[in-house]
Amino acid sequence: MKEFFLKISNNEIYQRLFKNPFSYVAGATLLAFFNVLTFVFTGNGWGVTGAFANWAVWTLQPLGLDVSTWPSFASEAAQKTLAGGFLSDGVSVRNLGIILGALLATLLASQFKIKKIKSVRQVVAATVGGLMMGYGARLASGCNIGALFTGTANLSVSGWVFAATLLLGAYIGSKILKKYLM
Amino acid sequence: MKEYRLDCLGEACPIPLMKTEKKMMDLQVGDMLIVMIDHSCAMKNVPEWARTQGHNVDIEEVDDGEWEIFIEKVK
Repeated sequence: MKEFFLKISNNEIYQRLFKNPFSYVAGATLLAFFNVLTFVFTGNGWGVTGAFANWAVWTLQPLGLDVSTWPSFASEAAQKTLAGGFLSDGVSVRNLGIILGALLATLLASQFKIKKIKSVRQVVAATVGGLMMGYGARLASGCNIGALFTGTANLSVSGWVFAATLLLGAYIGSKILKKYLM
Repeated sequence: MKEYRLDCLGEACPIPLMKTEKKMMDLQVGDMLIVMIDHSCAMKNVPEWARTQGHNVDIEEVDDGEWEIFIEKVK
């Protein structure tokens, strides 16, 4: 058995498919291809973070949260998605697929590792950064996937505006990072 | 011909690259820096940066999801 796995791990096709990172061009081509498929089959481009807001509602609704009067969930479509639940929301299922797919990819590459937390500073930065990214994605009606990737692919000007502000944010973010995390 | 180790385990992009860039400035020509990482995209961008600087680079997978990047300062 061990010999079999050793043999596989030295196989060139295995290494190219599962072990070594794809080139940027290969990755971009795959993303473009699957975005076209997504658009053809669902009528929408690829998006991620919109569903996270639904996940929050589904989690907090049993605890008494009522979002029916919130403008962002007021539309009929949004209410229908919320009422339909997780498995009827294609975007939620796809997000779960991304997480499971990433796990599968790292297992296939034999690179799975639970990483150590380095410092309290790192925890604070990750928490604050995550909250800001999530909140910002809601304000911008999308993240770097829904607003930038799908936006620019659809030749929407808003995608390019998002790109410009994203670069500005990344610039400021890297300055903060250099100051507090290095 | 000194050897330095830089522990970047548990650090995500772009911190390993930024720390490597900073550390390389302390090295003399001929010295070796070993960067320890467990973030797969650092396995791509750290060697890429070092090669564009003209240094000799070698990567070794030391454990599941753990690598050591050997960078020899050549100029």
